[in-house]
Order: sequence, then C-alpha cells, then structure tokens
Amino acid sequence: MDAIVLDNVTKSFGPVRAVDSLSVRVPTGCIYGFLGPNGAGKTTAIRMIMNIIQPDSGRIVVLQNGPLEENRQRIGYMPEERGLYRKMTAGKVLSYFGSIKGISPRECDRHARQWLERVELIDHIDKKVEELSRGMHQKLQFAVTAINEPDLLILDEPFSGLDPVNLDLLKDIIQDMRARGKTIIFSTHVMHEAERLCDYILLINKGRSVLDGTLEDIRSRKKSHAVVARLAGDTEFLKSHPLVEAVAMQEKNLEITLIPRASPQELLKDLVGRVEVQRFEVKQPSLHELFIQLVKEQNAQ
Amino acid sequence: MFILSVLLVPFLIGGIIFFSHKLSQDKGGPRPARRVAVADRTRSLSGKIVTVFEEYNASNPEQQIILEEILPAPDREAQAEEQKKRLKDKSIHAYVVLDQDVLDGSGKIRMYLFDTKASELEYVSQVEHLLNRAVVNQRCENANLKPELLAQLRQWVPSERVQIGESGQERVEKESERVIGMMVPFFFMFLMFQGVFGMGHHMITSVIEEKNSRVIEVLLSALSPFELMAGKILGLAAIGLTVMSLWGVAAYGTAVWQGFDIEITIEMLTYFIVYYCLGFILFCSILAGIGSICNTLKEAQSLMFPVTMMFILPLVSWVNMVQNPDGIYARVLSFIPPLTPMVMVLRLSASSTVALWEICLSLLLLVMSVPAVMFLAARIFRIGILMYGKRPGPREIIRWIRAR
Repeated sequence: MDAIVLDNVTKSFGPVRAVDSLSVRVPTGCIYGFLGPNGAGKTTAIRMIMNIIQPDSGRIVVLQNGPLEENRQRIGYMPEERGLYRKMTAGKVLSYFGSIKGISPRECDRHARQWLERVELIDHIDKKVEELSRGMHQKLQFAVTAINEPDLLILDEPFSGLDPVNLDLLKDIIQDMRARGKTIIFSTHVMHEAERLCDYILLINKGRSVLDGTLEDIRSRKKSHAVVARLAGDTEFLKSHPLVEAVAMQEKNLEITLIPRASPQELLKDLVGRVEVQRFEVKQPSLHELFIQLVKEQNAQ
Repeated sequence: MFILSVLLVPFLIGGIIFFSHKLSQDKGGPRPARRVAVADRTRSLSGKIVTVFEEYNASNPEQQIILEEILPAPDREAQAEEQKKRLKDKSIHAYVVLDQDVLDGSGKIRMYLFDTKASELEYVSQVEHLLNRAVVNQRCENANLKPELLAQLRQWVPSERVQIGESGQERVEKESERVIGMMVPFFFMFLMFQGVFGMGHHMITSVIEEKNSRVIEVLLSALSPFELMAGKILGLAAIGLTVMSLWGVAAYGTAVWQGFDIEITIEMLTYFIVYYCLGFILFCSILAGIGSICNTLKEAQSLMFPVTMMFILPLVSWVNMVQNPDGIYARVLSFIPPLTPMVMVLRLSASSTVALWEICLSLLLLVMSVPAVMFLAARIFRIGILMYGKRPGPREIIRWIRAR
C-alpha cells in the first residue's frame, strides 16, 4: 500500500516550472529521500503533498485520500523555514501544538515531556524558544512535528544546522519510527545523509525526476568504471594497458579508471597473471558522485 | 504584559472618572498677580473700573489682577507705543484701550497681549468680563438705573428637572446627571471601539508574527486556513468580551462609588453584546485579510489607515450624535456595517426613540455583511499567509478571491 502517490504532477510559478510531470510512489513504512540541488522543486513537491499549495495538473493521493480533517492529524510536517512562537516556553509550545493536532488536553503535557526527553531537551522545558540555540530549536521543531505520533512524517531539510551528535540522535528517532511502521519522507541536498538513512531515493533536478528507486537499484543502474587496487611489483605497464583510461596514485592504492565498456573482471584476470594482487575492489559510485554526474548531464542538455 | 494592561485599565478608568469629578469642583490654584494697563478714552469710566477690580481682587485673593490706569495723554500714538513696549518687556501683561464710544455700544474694548499662553486665557477673559461690568454699570447710571435692580430684573428663574420613576417616585435631577447622561453613551461607544479596534490589533499582530516566524506552515499542516482564521476570531472575541466586561464593571463601580446614578438596562447590555459579536467578527475578518497579505506591521499599518479613519468618524462626532441620536448623520452612520456597532450602542444608550426597524435593519445589514466579508477574507487569507516578499496588488488579490 502506498502512503503517497504523485501522478504526473506539475506546478508552475509564473514562467518557472517548479515541478514538471513528477510521478512518485511512496510505500508505507519506508524512509524516502527527496534529493536535489537547491531550487530543484523539493519544497514545492512537499508543499503540494501537504495541500498547502495546489498543483496545476496531475493527481496527488495522500494516505489513500482519507478524509481531509482526519488526514491532517495523521501527518506531521516540518517546514523548511523553521518557526515557533518565540516567546513561549519549549514545553508550552509542544503542548500547544499537541492540542492542535488532536491530543486530548490532559495528555498534552505528558506527551510534551516525553518528547522533550527523547530529543534531550528536557532540561530546557521552561526556556523560551528564543533562548534556545539553533540546533535545539531544530530538535524542538522535530518534536512538534512528531508529537502526535503521525503515520506520515514529512520533513523538509531536517538535518540542516545540526551537529553530528544531534544528527545521529535525530536519525535514530527516525529509524525507530520506521520500525514502528511509520512512513518518513525527507528532503535534503546533502547526499551522505540520504545514503545512510534512506530506503528509497528520488532525485529531482529542475522539477523533473532524474532517478527514482531503492538505493541498491540506483547504484547498480550505473555501471562503475573505477577500480581500487593494491598491487605488489612494477605497475608502470598499467599506464599503457588497453583497458585503462587513467591511473592515479592514492597513498598505497591505485585508482584505476577503465575505458568505457571495459569490464573490471577482464582487468583482474589480466592483472593476476602479471603481479601480486593484494587488494582489488570495484568502486561503488557514491550517491554524491552520481548526483553531480546526473545533474551535470541534465543541465548540459 | 497583556494581563497587566487589562487589569490596569479599570484603575485608569476609575481614576479618570474620580479626578474629572474632583476637577470640576476645583477653582484652580494660586497664580502670580497680573498687571493690566487700562486707557479709558471715554474719560468717564475710571470710577467704575476701579470699583469692579477692587471687588474682584477682594474675592480672589490668590488670583489678583492689578489695575493700572493710564491717564489720557495728548499724543495717543506715542502713549500706545510706550505701553506696547512695556508689554514686550513684561512689566505689564495686558494693555487695554476702551474706545471713546463704548458706552453707546459702537466702540470696542481692545486688548493688546504679548506671547499669551493657553493657561493665561482665563485671566484675559476675566479682565474682559470686569471691564464689561464697569461699562454696564456706567450705562445704568446714565439711565438712572441701579445696577442691583438690573441684576434683579435679569435674574433667571431657577428650574428643576424631575424624573418620574416607574412606580411614581419623583427624583430631582442633579446637574452632574446631565453630564453623565452625555457620558454614558460615549462610554458605551468607547468601550465598543476599544473592544473591536483594540482587540482587532491583536489579530493583525498575531497573523503577522505567525507569518514571519513561519509557524503558519506548521499550523496549516494541522488546521485548514478557515479553521485557523475562525479560531483566531472566536478566541479574540471571547477575550474581548471578558476584558470589556471587566472594564465596564470597573467603570460602573467607580461611577456608583462617586455617587452617580446610572441606569443600565438588560436590554442595553444584550444589544451591546450582540452588536459587539457581529461587529468584531466583521472587523477581525477584514484585519485577518489585511494581516495575511502583509509581511511587517508597518505595511499593515499603512493598509489599516483608511479603516482607522473610518473608526475615528463616530469618535470625533459623538457629541453631535448624543444630542441628535435620531439625526440624519447618526442614522446614516448606523448603516455602514463596520461602524454600526459603535454608532448603534451610542444611539441606543442616548435615546429611547430609536425605531425598532432601524435596529432590525442595522442588525440585518451586519448579519449579511459578516459572511460576505468572512468569505472574501478567508479567500485572501488562505493564499496570503503563505506568500512572502512583495505585497500583492489589487489585481492579484482579485485573482486570489476568484481562484478555486
């Protein structure tokens, strides 16, 4: 069952096509990353899912199109621009949003305390929002988003501005929520965050879907042309090897780029006959490299 | 802060009522003596002038006016110049010339003053008054009439206004009650103004704050824009009612404590509450619309200006409306929906002759304009609150209203 379906969705702002015929299916119970450079249309897509803005054309189904009022309570949304009442205390802000999101008034304070403990802000419960640091503010905003345990969490750039410790804290909470069957969508332009967390990835550039699928899928779709090897003996011959395009020395390792359509297996077979192979690894293209490569390709068109 | 200001206002109202009551009985404190030079060109008033000034000074020991008679000189121009010079170096405070023919009524009393402050106007009119009395006394003498007799002849017959109560009891109306009769309608109108306009201000600040801090997106993920707007209006209306009843009770309490007899009927209170609720929803919807398209309070204020001017209208013309509650002016204002509540409570508390059809029509107009304005405001609100940057022009706003 899909938590979210976008079907051929388009949205323009004046002459700019912010989202261009985008189709995505987000299965229930996964972590889906919306990746893309700044201005790619991630936030617009998310805002349309949130029904904050309406698409020009196309179809959006969120949580099987349940009743709007009910759906609102089942979705937690963390906007890109963070905002909370600056003069309220952290505890009050959480209780207030809890009550708006349908938690009974009596339960609100308890939920607020629980969440403050979870994001390690319980010591700051009586501090005003404006007194919190940026990272704390961010965690509080996350707690606001998740206070009523929504089935679907939509997070716009949730990790920007967090230090590594808090980053891990937030990731743990997100993974924990997935384990309990929640669906989480987040957008980011920092690839390695997505790489460590996502089950699925949607890569958007200029409003269009560039890549969509599981992380494994995406990686295998792109054939690797690089190999990392450690060889004992003279390796000069590699430079003129018919399969090799370039060789670079990286500490004790050699980074070998193959010519297009060459297979790393052929090279290995050949190497084994000539030198002692201590290490041989087909290099997985990182998401970061893929991302840059694809965006460049598309922009060049 | 909010609670503090809410609690302080009743004390302020009480204080104002208390002090204005005390002040009206106050004659004013001592002030330094004033020196007045008088040139009498009739050459026959001197005795009378001296007498009236002596009488005045005898009964006002703390506010003396010293008379200095200027004897006639052959060169009048030179004399006048000299006195004007004295006026400028402040050795006298006023130089007065009585024309030759003041006694037969065609001349004037000319007062020359220099650098007069508003606070000194009182003694200036006192001098005019005294000189007039001297002239009248002389006229009497010329006509062989005793001034005392004239005063006796001209004496007003004391009148008494007796209010007859429901069960036949009679009560003599005091002078202060007439003032109160004017003030009660004003107070009702002012309370309405504060309740609608003052509370409305909170609407605009909260919308702009939420818009600026982007809380709005979080709120909108949990609520629909209409729910948000309606919730704000209802919440503020409830606060407004609470605050106004606090203030009203405080004002009523102080008035009773100060011995004013004020009668406020249940009917009046009901009208007040009904008009308040409708007026507030109407006004707040307008403000929600305005607030949603602005990014800063400053922008909102410039948009608010015409609205504010409209509300000033009944505030500056209240005396006229209290005296003529059924006049054409008051009637017209009654049917301009945002002003209806203020004008109607003023008229209803000032007069018992406001026609029932007027009440019904004004309510009907309000009731009809509320959903219309709310609809428009909600349309603007739902798009406006998510728009940042440049304020939209009228054409764009019309497009928002038309949008599905």
